[in-house]
Amino acid sequence: MLKVIQLDKTYGQNKHSLKDVNFTAQPGEVTAIIGPSGAGKTTILRSVNQLIRDNGGKILLDDQDIRQANKSELRKIRHHIGMIFQNYNLISPLTALENVLHGRLGAKSTFAGIFGMYSTDEKQEALALLNEVGLGEYAYQRCDQLSGGQQQRVGIARALMQHPKMILCDEPIASLDPKSTKIVMDILRQLAKEKQLIILINLHQIDIALEYADHIVGINSGEIVFEGPSQAVDDQVLQKIYRQADQPKQAVTANEN
Amino acid sequence: MKTNFQSPQQFFRQRRLRLGIVLAVLLVIYGVSMVLVNFQTLASLMQVPAGLIWLFKNFIPTERSISYLGPILYQLWRTLIVSVSSTICASLLGLIFAILGAKTTSPLPGLRLVIRFGASLLRNIPVVAWAMILLFSFKQSDFTGFLALFFMTLGYLTRAFTETIEDLDGEKLQALQAVGANYFQCVFCGVLPEVASTLTSWVLYMIENNLRDATLVGILTGTGVGFLFNHYFKSFRYDAAGLIVLLIAVLVICLELTSTQIRRAIA
Repeated sequence: MLKVIQLDKTYGQNKHSLKDVNFTAQPGEVTAIIGPSGAGKTTILRSVNQLIRDNGGKILLDDQDIRQANKSELRKIRHHIGMIFQNYNLISPLTALENVLHGRLGAKSTFAGIFGMYSTDEKQEALALLNEVGLGEYAYQRCDQLSGGQQQRVGIARALMQHPKMILCDEPIASLDPKSTKIVMDILRQLAKEKQLIILINLHQIDIALEYADHIVGINSGEIVFEGPSQAVDDQVLQKIYRQADQPKQAVTANEN
Repeated sequence: MKTNFQSPQQFFRQRRLRLGIVLAVLLVIYGVSMVLVNFQTLASLMQVPAGLIWLFKNFIPTERSISYLGPILYQLWRTLIVSVSSTICASLLGLIFAILGAKTTSPLPGLRLVIRFGASLLRNIPVVAWAMILLFSFKQSDFTGFLALFFMTLGYLTRAFTETIEDLDGEKLQALQAVGANYFQCVFCGVLPEVASTLTSWVLYMIENNLRDATLVGILTGTGVGFLFNHYFKSFRYDAAGLIVLLIAVLVICLELTSTQIRRAIA
């Protein structure tokens, strides 16, 4: 279980990005973070694996506080947290297979990682994972020759190669067409159910969030304004989450002045 | 955000006006500098044809110059070796400096400044000046030429490699960090594969460039095909000197064609 407690993040002086953020995400469930642009969705997600250093609070993954980990502990923790991105962030001149194998880097010695020394078992597993996401025949293709949806599936295979407890998804479908969106979201939901993973997703698309997520976290200007099952999300809740975005811009600037 | 309303006609009129002003400024600069150095455009242009005719009459390789082919080809080969080896050595060291000095991969911010400054110093001293400075310590030898090219190339490639690495999307490295990769794994599994083909292009370009420069450096260090050119030229064997120029041009073109092919293959 992932438990985020009183997470706090400031950029510069007094510029709060996150204020007292509390929420939980359960294994076997898809948890979606929704909210207007700039509300702090990405900051939350990247704090969870400490790509962004926050300023206070607790992030407990199975009762271990990620924020207290030292460098080598953090490396071990990150090894078990997969992450996929809006821009896929694969190493594009390398093949799909090599990118999936990168999922093992966190468990490798520096030397073995640098020279790409992977065992036969690891190579077989990587190939099996590519088959699982339906890309077996593209294993030896350079990643920059794959479509966006295919690259995102390679990204998922890379995350699975980490034997993750949790997968963080930072706007995973923002650059995808509806068909690829469905494929990717179906895979993620299936992973949550079958492998009992914690799936934590940032989403822009409310309809997709309501369709696929079991648990919804609504955030508005750095504060959690809603947390609950997706069935409990109604128009009133959505209005609360997207409150500021719907206000006319002039009113906002007037307040600032 | 406020934008003043502008009709398309007004917008493009302003564009044309700006272009016109730039052209006028350039013309004025040209005119002023011409007056300052006492350069007469027309008179100079008139002299060009006569000069060219003289050049062709004297520098066209003759039958006699063919007899010099042996030593010329030997020196050309040595010059090629010096320029290739200096480029390769400089690019290996330059890559290490670039990784240490690039914003995205530098382990120490202080190191960045030192490397930037050092590279710019090496780069901004012309290769001819390098050769003349090094002549004092290393005398007239191939090694002096090698070092002169090496230093200039090191400065140039460190800068080029640094910029290539900095252009790389930092998110890709974050993705590897998120996997649990450490610094060296990020560099070797992420940065190097991403930049390899661009880096190779730079190295090939520098080899071409250094072959041309090596000829010039050779005149000073008394080695290679540059020395031979100087020697023939000063003993009035213009046809042999012309043959050297021709052969250098052929070699450079061959090199360019090869490197274009290689670049296309790895892109």
